[in-house]
Amino acid sequence: MNLMYLYLPVALTSINVLIPVGLGLIVGLLSGLFGVGGGFLLTPLLIMFGIPSTVAAATDSNQIVAASTSGTYAHWKVGNVDFKMGLYLLLGGFVGGVLGVQAIKILEATGNADFVIKITYVLMLGIVGTYMLIESLISLRKSGSQASENQDRKESAFTRCLKSLPLQTHFEKSGVTHSLLLPVIFGGFVGILAAVMGVGGGFLMVPVMVYILRMPMHVVVGTSLFQILFNCIEVTFLQAYTNHTVDFVLAVLLLIGSTFGAQIGAAFGRKLKGEQLKVILAVIVLVVTAKIVFDLALTPSLLLSQAGGH
Amino acid sequence: MKRVNNQKQKAKSINVFRIVLMVLFGLLMTETGTFAMLTIKANHDHIKIDFFYHGSTVSVRGEADQGTDLVIKIASSEGSQLLRKKGRVAGLLWMNIGNLSYEHVPSLYFLHSTKNLAEILSSDERDKYSLGYPALNRHIEIRPVESEEEKSKWFNEFVKVKESSKVYDTSSGKIAISERKGRQNYYILLDWPYQALQGNYTATVYAVKDKKVVETAESNVLVEQVGFVKTMFNMAMNNGALYGIISILVAISAGFAVGLIFRQGGGAH
Repeated sequence: MNLMYLYLPVALTSINVLIPVGLGLIVGLLSGLFGVGGGFLLTPLLIMFGIPSTVAAATDSNQIVAASTSGTYAHWKVGNVDFKMGLYLLLGGFVGGVLGVQAIKILEATGNADFVIKITYVLMLGIVGTYMLIESLISLRKSGSQASENQDRKESAFTRCLKSLPLQTHFEKSGVTHSLLLPVIFGGFVGILAAVMGVGGGFLMVPVMVYILRMPMHVVVGTSLFQILFNCIEVTFLQAYTNHTVDFVLAVLLLIGSTFGAQIGAAFGRKLKGEQLKVILAVIVLVVTAKIVFDLALTPSLLLSQAGGH
Repeated sequence: MKRVNNQKQKAKSINVFRIVLMVLFGLLMTETGTFAMLTIKANHDHIKIDFFYHGSTVSVRGEADQGTDLVIKIASSEGSQLLRKKGRVAGLLWMNIGNLSYEHVPSLYFLHSTKNLAEILSSDERDKYSLGYPALNRHIEIRPVESEEEKSKWFNEFVKVKESSKVYDTSSGKIAISERKGRQNYYILLDWPYQALQGNYTATVYAVKDKKVVETAESNVLVEQVGFVKTMFNMAMNNGALYGIISILVAISAGFAVGLIFRQGGGAH
């Protein structure tokens, strides 16, 4: 008996406990720093360490519940959660989550699912990462003292288009006015991604809130975590109930690392400026994108994988 | 007097026992045609998958006639497996491009022989007992494939995946042989991978002479989930709703607990 190894009852494999705890710590740090769930990093890493892809995605959602509970609680205490905006994002997210879990089943039955998912993933990450990097670098150069809250708010055609949407309402905590449809649609979009790819969607939600919804950065992080928390609760339940792919033991090992990592990241994040945080997040997103592109272009060592993954 | 009678009775019973043994012995010789039988014993034949399980070892040993070569096969029962195949899309990117169904394949297949299989067994005999990868390839079905060439390609890829998971393995010359009283004892120690799922596995030894299998013997290896692993697996599969709710509640509690621990530091993200 080697106490360093535990057998995972749903993943049906044995793993050195230091691996999930260490991985949890890394993504927890990211979560604490940027308000992202870290799923876009963790799911591929778990697959790399021999966890079946469907179990990796579902279990990741489970551990994000823990990390984002910790984060949302901390932000709620200092008044940095826009519950009104969060609830509309959630509404869209719940519908998106249900659609996403069903989409997995439909996509798995068709041969082109992987192509559609990966191209969308690469494009999304690439566009978001590049835009965020350029925008934050320009802001940093303009003035070291100018934070994201004081962004250039010139009205573009896109902004005018958003303002012409019906059901305009004011979000007091964020100090912005938008159509109710906007957070619902983007919440739905993130919900689908969360279910299909096992990501919380924070890496998309944060830029959406900053650049499209024009929310202040400190409210963005808290509201993003609030939305991710409920999204991942729903996805975890649906994955456990429908696909039987949540590994409780793996989730506990991951959350030991991620909950502590999130708090350490939050403490570290307070020492950095909003623009600096955005540059680092943009670089991480672009590195992950490059890794996915390399994996797609290089001939894989194995041409077969267990069905049920993607 | 009573003691003398008891001793007589005891001697009588021993004689009867000896006669029965001799009759059985005679029957045995008639049945096999030889005194020496092929034997197999898998040591550690009941592997328990508990919370700290990280694979095991299984040793296979037994006796065989001198002058025979040996082939040891350990395999699960046959079943079907569905795998995704990767291919180039638009001539550029590697993606999953569909499923392949493998029929009549074992999930675990270990084959070890005293010498190279092709040297000691005819092709027909290898096919008859599914001994070796080429024989296994001819035995299984893969769908959909359009030609034997394509089938061979995807069979080889299948073996690569299984060997990387350590559930398929072949070797020749690794079986230790020692001679004793005109018989040969054989022995091999195998790593049992944690990737092998619970189930019943059959260990078969084939005695081979003049390119033919002349005798076989079987033993079993049982792999079983026990304790916490079994409870969690059964709950996840049979009571997904409760399992999901427990998983969520534990995660939320852990998140709150750590949030409270860090409360003094502010804990903001």
